[in-house]
Amino acid sequence: MAETPSYTERLKAWNRFEAEKFSKKAPVTTPYPFIDIEKPPEYRGIPHINPEKCIGCGACVNACPPDALIMEWDKEHGVKRLTYNAARCIRCARCIEVCPTGAMEPTTRFEIATDNKEDLVEVVEHRLAYCEECGEYLDFTERQIEYVKAILPKEIFNMYALEDRIGLTREEKMRKTVVKLRETEGNAYPAFILVEKARDNGGEE
Amino acid sequence: MVTTKDLEAHFEFECKACENGRCAKADVEKILSEREGLRDFYEAFKEHIKDCKRMTYGQYMFTIDREILPKAVLWWHNHPKFKETHMSTAVGTDERPLNGHFIYMPFLSVQVEPLNMDRNYWVFLRTYLPADDPSFPSVAEKLPAALWIEREVKDLLGFKPINHPDPRRLILPEDFPDGVYPLRKDMDYRHSPITEPKVEYRETPDNTTLVPMGPAHMGIEEPAHFRLFVKGEEIVDVDYRGFYSHRGIEKTGEGRLTYNQILFLAERICGICGYQHSVSYAMAIERLADVDVPDRARYIRTLMLELERIHNHLLWVGIAAHMVGYDTGFMHAWRIREPVMWLVERLTGNRKQYGMNIIGGVRRDILDYRKDEVLKVVKQIRDGTKTFLDIALNTNTFIKRAEGIGILPYKVAKAYSVLGPTARASGRKIDARLDQATKTAMAYNEVDFKVPVYKEGDVLARVLVRMDELFESLWIVEQLIDQMPGGDIMVPIGELPEYEETLGFTEAHRGEVVHYVMTGEKNKVYRWKVRAPTYNNLPAIPEMLKGYHVADAPLIIASIDPCYSCTERVQFVDVDTGRVKVLTEAEFNELSIKYRGVF
Repeated sequence: MAETPSYTERLKAWNRFEAEKFSKKAPVTTPYPFIDIEKPPEYRGIPHINPEKCIGCGACVNACPPDALIMEWDKEHGVKRLTYNAARCIRCARCIEVCPTGAMEPTTRFEIATDNKEDLVEVVEHRLAYCEECGEYLDFTERQIEYVKAILPKEIFNMYALEDRIGLTREEKMRKTVVKLRETEGNAYPAFILVEKARDNGGEE
Repeated sequence: MVTTKDLEAHFEFECKACENGRCAKADVEKILSEREGLRDFYEAFKEHIKDCKRMTYGQYMFTIDREILPKAVLWWHNHPKFKETHMSTAVGTDERPLNGHFIYMPFLSVQVEPLNMDRNYWVFLRTYLPADDPSFPSVAEKLPAALWIEREVKDLLGFKPINHPDPRRLILPEDFPDGVYPLRKDMDYRHSPITEPKVEYRETPDNTTLVPMGPAHMGIEEPAHFRLFVKGEEIVDVDYRGFYSHRGIEKTGEGRLTYNQILFLAERICGICGYQHSVSYAMAIERLADVDVPDRARYIRTLMLELERIHNHLLWVGIAAHMVGYDTGFMHAWRIREPVMWLVERLTGNRKQYGMNIIGGVRRDILDYRKDEVLKVVKQIRDGTKTFLDIALNTNTFIKRAEGIGILPYKVAKAYSVLGPTARASGRKIDARLDQATKTAMAYNEVDFKVPVYKEGDVLARVLVRMDELFESLWIVEQLIDQMPGGDIMVPIGELPEYEETLGFTEAHRGEVVHYVMTGEKNKVYRWKVRAPTYNNLPAIPEMLKGYHVADAPLIIASIDPCYSCTERVQFVDVDTGRVKVLTEAEFNELSIKYRGVF
């Protein structure tokens, strides 16, 4: 973002009034924008997406009141695109609050006036997870899967054999469940308990 | 083991709907005996009342026949005991998808005892209008306070007020076609048709000259079109055409936003009293969800509200000085005001539009080291304002222009339901901070302050009322900092009940702000009605202008501190529906071309 120097920065470089002299003369007003003005650290400027932390979950998109954040899916190329448009942003900082990984970072920037609209847009692209079985892209990203794996307790992880199933489409998951149920047809226990039992027995032997 | 029977018993014990009187099983007799005056009303209109219930603490609703609507409103308004009762506004709702009817519902703030929030209450008079004939007898015929709201429901919902004295268009633009009603549920909020413009100005009375003032007010730089009919220098009559900045914020809120998103939209209704709108809306939703806001959050909200009042009154007094040609005063008032803005920036993260609220509390805590800063600024403002007033009130330029100008008598103020400092300068003892139960969202019941009232009713009285209020606000801020309790600053709320309605309100620096919310399915809002104080104050302007000179007109108009964007509910029109909608680049461009010039 902001490849070209912003409008205000260019004004500052101009130094038309010899800012220092001017500020001595006028005690109440400041010759802004020819000098930097003090911004308190609490100031809510426009947010910034840290692409290293972003997992593409879309929590910020759900919370954003003016639709400054937009989520797009491109299933053909397997890309999920998160677009932030500072021109629509109302600086409410809701996205910063709801972000689970802290990828939305607060800044104190407010001078976003520009003559090029593209300076105001930030785009983060994520690779969608791919289902090996049916050859389609899923709704969620690879990073989301990694994040879920990291926060889930280990026991559940083993029991449901989550690792095998998490990267599948919904249809594929249902198909697998049905197949597994058919295998155990006639048994009194549900499938996952049988799996456990088999494992327990195996351990003993 | 828990059986179904146990669960049922548990639910009965916990049934909050019954406890609050919303349930069908709730005892009507008990509800009527809760507040003074309810039973009298019930006895007087017994055969026309179909239903009565308590919506929430201090808010009662009667479902009445539409024929007696004016009588019922006037019964409350002219009640001999409850002198300061006023008609707040009315709500029109399209409930055809629910029950096949339209709803028209005026509501009044009943003042049993002025400034006692536990005895006063709101009364809602709900009338069902059939879908094929949405007409009702006009209240405005006898009570000018209903003039604008009836024109509004006529424009936006297609209701027909019978015998309305001034049935011209109020809100919709001149080039909007007849017979298209934007607030009806079957109209999509993106649809904005255009036809040939048709102008409806009032005819110039005989022997008068027309002096148009507008469509932009020269002093406050906002869009409003006054047409002054003058005889020589004297103003005889006034015609008003406004709502140039109406862009359908209520429809946007109902159409696509969740209840937490509307909060931020509400804050941006007005650039000046934004936090008041935000708190009012949050209060309405919190009452619907039945949560107790933590004490610390209530205190922080009150603190921010009062800081907002302080800098707004200073802003206004600066503008008033500018209007009378006393520009030194203008400069000094705004210089004194600036430290508050800096303080607020440090407390909340922004000079205006604090973004401090969330449903159920506040988002940022006030840390201890900032308390000293607040007290320092309060002291600075108090000293500065005292010096400023000493000088300004001894300046002839200021006094001569303000004294005896724009007099609004008590009776007229009451008939038009004028609110806030404008009303208090005319002798009305009203202040929504203490009049109604603000204690669920704010902490005004726990601090001590006076409500200044002046009887003169001229512009000078309005200046003095505001300046007295400013000092009271400074005193409130000091108390709040002293008494600030500890604890949480937010409580999460769960599901909202479906199709429940309630009212949130605060006293902005211009008068009482009212947000009516009716919930829909799945935590959405079915109807959201905003009424800013200027909406009630502005219709009284012609009464204030009559008999004064043209040169005084800008000052008199500015003396109510009008805010057109509040009144007209300006906001953006948004582009897409649904929670996460996929918009391709091409679609986005197409939409931006389609809506070019709209926002």
